[in-house]
Amino acid sequence: MRDQDQDFIAAALPTFISEAEEQVERLEQLLLELEAAPGDRELLDTLFRCAHTVKGSAGIFGLDALVGFTHHVETLLDQVREGRRALDGGLSTLLLQCNDQIRRLVAAASSTRPDDPDGAAERSRLQERLASACGSAAAAPARAALALPVSLTPAGERLWHVWVRFGTDTLRNGMDPLGLLNYLQTLGRLEHIVCDRAAVPELDALDAESCHLAFEFGLRTAVGREEIESAFSFVREDCELHLIEPDAGPEQFVALIQSLPQHPRLGDILVAAGAISQAQLHAALAEQDRSRAAGVPTAPLGEILKERAGVPAAVVDAALQKQARHGDGSDDQRVIRVQADRLDAVINLLGELVIAGAGASELARQARQSRLVQANDQISGLVEEIRNATLQLRMVPIGETFTRFRRVVRDTAAELGKAVQLEIVGGETELDKAMVERIADPLMHLVRNALDHGLETAEQRRAAGKRPEGRLVLSACHDGGSILIRIDDDGRGIDRERVLQRAWDKGLVEPGVVPAEADILGLIFEPGFSTAEKVTNLSGRGVGMDVVRRNIEALRGSVAITSEAGRGTRIEIRLPLTLAIIDGFLVGVGDSRFIFPLDAVVEVIEGRSAEAAMQPDGSGVLALRGEALPVLSLRHLYELDDGAAPERASVYGVLVDALLGQHQTVIKPLGRMLRMLRGMSGSSILGNGEVALIFDVEALRRFAEQPAQSVPARALAAR
Amino acid sequence: MTASPPWGSLPAEVSIYTAAELRLQWLEALQAPAGQNDAVELDGSAVEQFDAAGAQCLLALAHALVARGQRLQLTRASDALARACRSLGLEDFIASTANEA
Repeated sequence: MRDQDQDFIAAALPTFISEAEEQVERLEQLLLELEAAPGDRELLDTLFRCAHTVKGSAGIFGLDALVGFTHHVETLLDQVREGRRALDGGLSTLLLQCNDQIRRLVAAASSTRPDDPDGAAERSRLQERLASACGSAAAAPARAALALPVSLTPAGERLWHVWVRFGTDTLRNGMDPLGLLNYLQTLGRLEHIVCDRAAVPELDALDAESCHLAFEFGLRTAVGREEIESAFSFVREDCELHLIEPDAGPEQFVALIQSLPQHPRLGDILVAAGAISQAQLHAALAEQDRSRAAGVPTAPLGEILKERAGVPAAVVDAALQKQARHGDGSDDQRVIRVQADRLDAVINLLGELVIAGAGASELARQARQSRLVQANDQISGLVEEIRNATLQLRMVPIGETFTRFRRVVRDTAAELGKAVQLEIVGGETELDKAMVERIADPLMHLVRNALDHGLETAEQRRAAGKRPEGRLVLSACHDGGSILIRIDDDGRGIDRERVLQRAWDKGLVEPGVVPAEADILGLIFEPGFSTAEKVTNLSGRGVGMDVVRRNIEALRGSVAITSEAGRGTRIEIRLPLTLAIIDGFLVGVGDSRFIFPLDAVVEVIEGRSAEAAMQPDGSGVLALRGEALPVLSLRHLYELDDGAAPERASVYGVLVDALLGQHQTVIKPLGRMLRMLRGMSGSSILGNGEVALIFDVEALRRFAEQPAQSVPARALAAR
Repeated sequence: MTASPPWGSLPAEVSIYTAAELRLQWLEALQAPAGQNDAVELDGSAVEQFDAAGAQCLLALAHALVARGQRLQLTRASDALARACRSLGLEDFIASTANEA
């Protein structure tokens, strides 16, 4: 191998590894999805493609063990895909185990350490099982067959659509694609040939002897598929050839467009696929230019083509999707990889910008120069958009984390001899990537707990008159500026008596003292608590629930548990969407400034402080539209010279002196000294350098609902 | 062979045998400032041998020219060159000497 090849491999290997890891994840998800939808053709095809991709790219990097092993998996998948072998539970388990080995091999490729002999032994055992599952056909190499029907004997001339990409070594092997095209012209007429120009690198990057050429064209001919294919026989080995039957329906073009490598230009794609002619494309492009020149908003090319050229909508849509996908890489959910710390650096800068911007706006307002204020408002608007867009960069759907639990649930349930069905709701809900990473472990623990302690065995469930299959629901949704994650099971519920007894035994509660009903379940989250009858290797070591709560609280989140004996348990985790910035609602009490997360503010009511019946401890009740609204006087609560703001068990009120309006707020953590301050979650520096404290709305609600013990608050004079 | 600098005419053979050398010549020519013209013209009257490797090299050159705001135009194209460009879907390289679209 040449040096430059080595360099290339060293440089590209990390990309291969991370992409292979994605494929392996995808394989696992597909296998699990197939258990719910056996025989789903699309899933089977994707499954096969994933394995094929792993094998293919592993081959490029000379990872022979990976290629060899994946090949056996691929062979079996091919049989499954062609319906020669049903994907039953046993086969699924086998494939999942194989996938684990593929994962190991991928991981081994990233380290220099040789693979462990255990793994090799396991793999050869799996290979035998794969071979026996495949039957005698095991040795046959897997081939990706093109699922296109073979043409009948042609009668007269018909128009074929051809897509061909020549292999890199075509020129070195002495083949000339031009000669081949010329030869095709002896078979029939070549129509609107399009060269994939973008595939050819720029001059300085070009190796003049490597072939980068790809073409698409219509071939009007009387000969059949075989004869056309035979024209390519000299280059067939390493070229990629797609032939689409004359009279093919739109769905075949759709399939072709989807199978093509990156193709950036919609028009070219459609022309290439033969769905429109070059002339039609030029006409459509000209129309687009005309309307642009006339200052009329231009219709997207896709629309014009649908209208003008009568291209079936399905074909245009497939091409548009392809074009869109080109933007974010090559395959399905591929993304640009950015180092997290670079993104964090941008976000930090943005935080500073937000503060500086707020400062400038403040000054402009004080200067009472309306044009300056306007200009500042515009800047603030833009900064806000950038902020939102940047934070969006960090947002990922939680579904990826959720789906990882499918395997856990499957294997754990099997280990425990329980039948469990996992439902995932709201997987598209997005939250900060850092948050997703840090919530995965606590979630894993809770899921395992639910499986181990919550759900009963099938016999127990039958005896209780329930469906033998237990149900576990993982759900996520946005709820007032936070994300709410729920883990519901329909198991035995939590036995309050036993929890209480345990708490007494462990000395978590003074023996004989019965805490409020709502607090009993919360004892589960106390350090050193475990009710497991027997210690299993899954949970019940007595470490866990307290760690779970600590981890969640470290993310400024909260966790709550509700349970009904015999009916099930619900664990609710509430997390902020991001740790970085919130929209704040600035209020004043006396000289002090406070910030409420804007999402939490439902309504602002003016001038009722006199009407509120306030208790000396700072809580009280206000009549609002005929209903009692609990209110809280911040002045009293924190012993300010002045005091309060609005929400209860969904809404409560807070009394304040002044409303200072919306304010972009960069959250700074509270200093150590202030950490014990209840009802506060952070601080922020205002544009004029003043410090404002940010409320923890949930914590404050608790004060409103269960009138407070006195709050250690003097420290609040912090300015 | 490099006539009116920095560009000039294509040699008789634009193929796998000359592509590597042409590439080097053109890379050198690209070092010179782009000038005012929006098209770079290459005289194609001498071309007798032309193949896909040659075409590929021209495509790569065209990319490089586009990057600095210019088009590639082949003037006075010989029959061999014009025919090959048509076969390869590259007729727009041929300067407008009445070729149908």
